[in-house]
Order: sequence, then C-alpha cells, then structure tokens
Amino acid sequence: MELDTFIKHFEDAVEDLESGTLTPETSFKDLKSWDSLAVLTVTDAMDMEYAVTLRKADFESAATVVQLFEIVQSKLTK
Amino acid sequence: MPKCRFLDVRITGLVTCVPPHEKCIDDELELFGGNMQQLKRLKKTIGLHKRRVVDADTTAADLCEQAARRLIEETAVELAQIDAVICVTQTPDYSQPCNAAVLHGRLGLLKDCAALDVNLGCSGYVYGLWLAHTMIASGGCERVLLLAGDTISRLVHAKDRAVAPLFGDGGSATLIERSAGAPAAFFSLQTDGSGYDKLMVPAGGARQPFSAATSLVAEDAAGNIRSPENLFMDGAEIFNFSITEEPKSVTELLKYASVETGAVDFYVFHQANRYILGNIAKRLKLDPAKVPMETVERFGNQSSASIPSAICGELSATLAGCDSAQMLLSGFGVGLSWASALVEFRDLSVCELIDYTS
Repeated sequence: MELDTFIKHFEDAVEDLESGTLTPETSFKDLKSWDSLAVLTVTDAMDMEYAVTLRKADFESAATVVQLFEIVQSKLTK
Repeated sequence: MPKCRFLDVRITGLVTCVPPHEKCIDDELELFGGNMQQLKRLKKTIGLHKRRVVDADTTAADLCEQAARRLIEETAVELAQIDAVICVTQTPDYSQPCNAAVLHGRLGLLKDCAALDVNLGCSGYVYGLWLAHTMIASGGCERVLLLAGDTISRLVHAKDRAVAPLFGDGGSATLIERSAGAPAAFFSLQTDGSGYDKLMVPAGGARQPFSAATSLVAEDAAGNIRSPENLFMDGAEIFNFSITEEPKSVTELLKYASVETGAVDFYVFHQANRYILGNIAKRLKLDPAKVPMETVERFGNQSSASIPSAICGELSATLAGCDSAQMLLSGFGVGLSWASALVEFRDLSVCELIDYTS
C-alpha cells in the first residue's frame, strides 16, 4: 500500500475535509472535523480498502497520519 | 453457528405500537456544544433526526399490550387458542416477575399457557421468532404470541451524545402459528459474550446493585456524562462488530437456505442507524430499494421492536399488495448477540403501526 493512496482514502472518509489538506505529519486529532463520527468513517474506509480493522487503541496510539498508516500497514502484513 | 429450518409454521400478523411524543435532534444543539457542523454531519451521515419516546408513566409492557390487543382484534385469534407468550425485553416492568406473566394477566389469557421472557435487545426479535417456531415445530404449541419491546430512552443519560439522540421506544406483537404447507423458515443464531461490556447498563443487577454511588454521574474522556445506571455504548466497537459479523451471517444463512441474494424481496435489519445499515447493504451488494432504513430517523433505534417497526412502518402497503414476500430479518447488538431469519410472509392478517394512547 502507498502512503499517498492511504492519505486520499483518509481524506475521502472524513467529511468536510478538502483533498490535499493532509500531510504525513498532520496531527489528525487536531483537525476541526475530527470526532467520533470521523473515527467510524475512517475505520469503515480502512476495512473496505485494505480489509484491516482499526480498534480504539490504534487511534489512541497514533498521533499523525503516517503513524496511522504504519499501523494499517502492520496489520496488513500479518 | 446453529442453523435450523422449520416447516409448517407461519407468521400470521404483526402490529407495532410507538409512543406519540416526538423529540428532534434539531432542538438539542446544546448537547453538541453548539457545534452546528457536527449536528448536521450526524443527521446526514448517521441519519439521526426524530425519535419517539415514552413519558415516565409508560413502559415497554404498555406499548406491547396495545400492540397485542390490536393484533388479537385484527387476526380474530381467540384468547383460548394462544398456547404461549414470549416477551422479549431488556426494560421489563419489574425485576420479578417477568413481563410475559404480567401481560398474560392483563390480556386475560388462559391458565393453559406458557409465559416467559427473553432478555435480549437488538437481536431479540429474531431470537423470539426462532423460539416460537421451535415451540410450534416441536408439537407443543399451536399458536405463540411474541411481544418484543423496549424503552431504552429511559436508560440513557440526556447528556451522553453517544446514545441520547439515538434511542427511541417501541413495542410489538406478532402471532406465529402452525400452518400445514407453510414454506420453510430458516434461522441462524450467534453470540460473542466476550463483548458483553461494549453495550451495557452496568448497575442495577446482582453484580452491582443500585446504591448511592451508582447514581453518581461522571464525565468520560469524550465529554459524555452518565452514571453506571445508564446505558453505555462503545460506538466504535459496536460499529466494527456490526459491519464484520452481519454481512457474514446473512451470506451464510442464504447459502444454507440455497436462496440467491436477489430472490429475497426485503432485507429488514435491526434499525441501528442509517450509516450501519447502508454499510451492511453495501457490503452485501443489496439493492437499496430492498433495505428499509428510514425507521431510525422517524422513531429512533427501538431495540427489540425495531425490526417489526420497520416492517409495519415502511413495508406495510407494499406487503399488502403482494401475494407473498421472501423476508430476510436480521438483528444484532447487546450481548453481543446476532441472529438472522429467512421467512416468507403470505396473507398477513395485519401489518400495522399504531400510536400509543394512554
């Protein structure tokens, strides 16, 4: 999986988030549109795109976009 | 997973009763800290809008009783012909005795009648149907009255955004009877008890009895307020559970029944919320026209009453116009518990949604 594609899926999943807003280093939890609903829609997108189930702990341990990407990647290779 | 098939049993009719009082998320902006954007997103994405809730004097038993009275009237079943009452609820009038016994008395049923409660929520309607089919197929009963209803609105804390704007109330009554030549009905039932604490009311049972401490509210990390006497829901975990297990369960039941996805006329899921239903439908590649999902925005998530509510509220006219309809019913939630049924509706005597009158 590519980081660019991952970011695009992430941006698509979060409503009110313009394409191109995120960088790998963005602290996504500081985004204005980040809330419990965004957790659901991102979880859904990751499941649909990569067949990876993100848990609450995964969102807690990741601070930046690239960190969440790495978590998804680690679950992919398992 | 336990799967089973029944012959010669049919569903004769069903009625759902909802409280008349309506609440609307548009009036609750302060619950979302004045964040209009968030409220709009919840309406658009999750499908939250209106919900029907009971007042402090009305219980699930009251709603179920009115549904039962209408059902009995419309099906013209004689009280003496009812061999069993099953009441599915997690909000009974008393911790003892069970709602089924209370309602047996209120409806004036004969002493030669079994009455029992089933303590299940969102999966409970399908479990109740399965139990009724089992009791009839075993030869023990000719007719079973299934009452499924809950008043979850009375368990949520008004300042818990995860549940307060979501839950509504409802009660239903369904008549199931022996009928020679009735088409086969298929069921599957599943449980994951390791997730028991993802959706629960922690206090009020023997493990943590009511006390001064259990009535104290606290604010959680997300800023939601509740006490251990209130309903708690881990929304993300319940979401994951629903989208993982539900499509699998439906696919496996259809395979077991050797029925193609397209041969089913309607897929009636527990009306959790529109987002989850849309998601399950998408994963199963279902025609959205076959999947009622407007019940939550009209009435709220009605727990054990949500499937009959969706049938009576969204499909009644369509069902009245067709000779028969292949129905896939599937409930999922607290337990964690989930169950699916494939049943054919034919010549229903009644399929109606009524308002409760006190």
